[in-house]
Amino acid sequence: MNGSLARPPGFFAAAMIVARKDLRIEGRTKETLLATVLFALVELVVFGFAFDLDTIRRMGPEKVVPGLLWLTLAFSAIVGFTRSFRLERAREALIAVALAPIDRGAVFVGKWMANLALLFMLEAVLLPLVALFFDVNIVGVAGPLVLVVAVHTVGLAALGTLFGAVVSRLGRGEALLATLLLPAATPLFLSAVHCTASALAATPLAVERKWLLLTVGLDVLYVLVAVLIFDAILEE
Amino acid sequence: MQRLYDVLRAALLAATAALMPVALYLIFVNAPEEKVMGAVQKIFYFHVPIAAVTFLSVFVLLAGAVGYLWTRRAGWDHLSIASAEVGLVFCTLVLITGPIWAKPAWGVWWTWEAKLTTTLILWLLLAGILLSRAYASSPEQGARVASVLGVVAALDVPIIYKAVDWWRGQHPIVFGAGKTNPLAPGMMSALKVSMLVFVLLYALLVAARMRLAALEDRLAALEDAAWRSQ
Repeated sequence: MNGSLARPPGFFAAAMIVARKDLRIEGRTKETLLATVLFALVELVVFGFAFDLDTIRRMGPEKVVPGLLWLTLAFSAIVGFTRSFRLERAREALIAVALAPIDRGAVFVGKWMANLALLFMLEAVLLPLVALFFDVNIVGVAGPLVLVVAVHTVGLAALGTLFGAVVSRLGRGEALLATLLLPAATPLFLSAVHCTASALAATPLAVERKWLLLTVGLDVLYVLVAVLIFDAILEE
Repeated sequence: MQRLYDVLRAALLAATAALMPVALYLIFVNAPEEKVMGAVQKIFYFHVPIAAVTFLSVFVLLAGAVGYLWTRRAGWDHLSIASAEVGLVFCTLVLITGPIWAKPAWGVWWTWEAKLTTTLILWLLLAGILLSRAYASSPEQGARVASVLGVVAALDVPIIYKAVDWWRGQHPIVFGAGKTNPLAPGMMSALKVSMLVFVLLYALLVAARMRLAALEDRLAALEDAAWRSQ
């Protein structure tokens, strides 16, 4: 910006600027990552008490652990999504974001990418911890497991980012976000738990083709819809 | 416009009031009693039309939400408010009549089958939309938020149904493709009239709720003007 009429950035450049801004703030404060990782750890400990390793071993870890993993991820992700827009509430930063000469859809894409990056970091810590606490071998199935978790995280982050913005505009917190997000994400969770169970049982992923296709379709649908309607949320 | 609305509402009211006793007669007097299930099967003539109307209200909600996001005209939002609220009432009735029938027919109050689960999730989605609207700081913000949530919820419902169906099945399919109609003639006419009555009742309630929303908007505008002129 040199005083002359600088050309506004294009859609993807603008999205990258928003994502980089969020990740830079996170890099300096590490608030969201600390909060979500610690919360996830607490959840795992609570699940450990609630279900007991003997019960889990008796029922077969590949039947119980996918549910535990996705519950933990969902609850921690909700904490992260809420914080993502709390950043913009400080000193009315959202007004500046809304006034920026960029497509409002690009703001969504930027926020979504930043949330996705944070969720991937959370998962990088969470997956080994789940394996350690609940005695599952993930080393042998690491490839398919990572793919399954990643493809479901994409859609969860899209829906979470959209609803996180709604909840933030309403001045509410995690309780409303959970109430809105968890039912809406039902197809993602069903698919996620099902495919994760298959991955842990070392079933070839080709067997779950229809679930994976559904999830890729959902990922695309949620991102497209959010890009199209996001400006209704930013509007004053 | 107002005159047309009054005529329409009076016509809906008259048709609903006239046909409802006919439907009750067809259901309780004319239709033969089901051989295996007996009298409890009569709830079928209420449960099925109410469920159909519930899912009809999802399409109306989608139309209202998309219409509002596209045009920002208050009328579309009134349609979206009305279909969400009336839809939630009908959805609640489905969730009440379903278990009453499921207990004698299947032996359990509830199963995690596709239609039941989708209806329950739909109830949660509609309740979430109405809750979010109530939290909004202004009616316009409420309209925008409810439209965004409405679009996502309405698009989600068929996908949820498919996903739960893959996950597990069990609901009786009465009308399937390529199957002959298993209902006795008396049963079929009772169902058809009952379906018509519930669609009319839904339209009547939506029209009344839209009118109420329009009056609320006018009252708010008048209060605003009165406050300004002080």
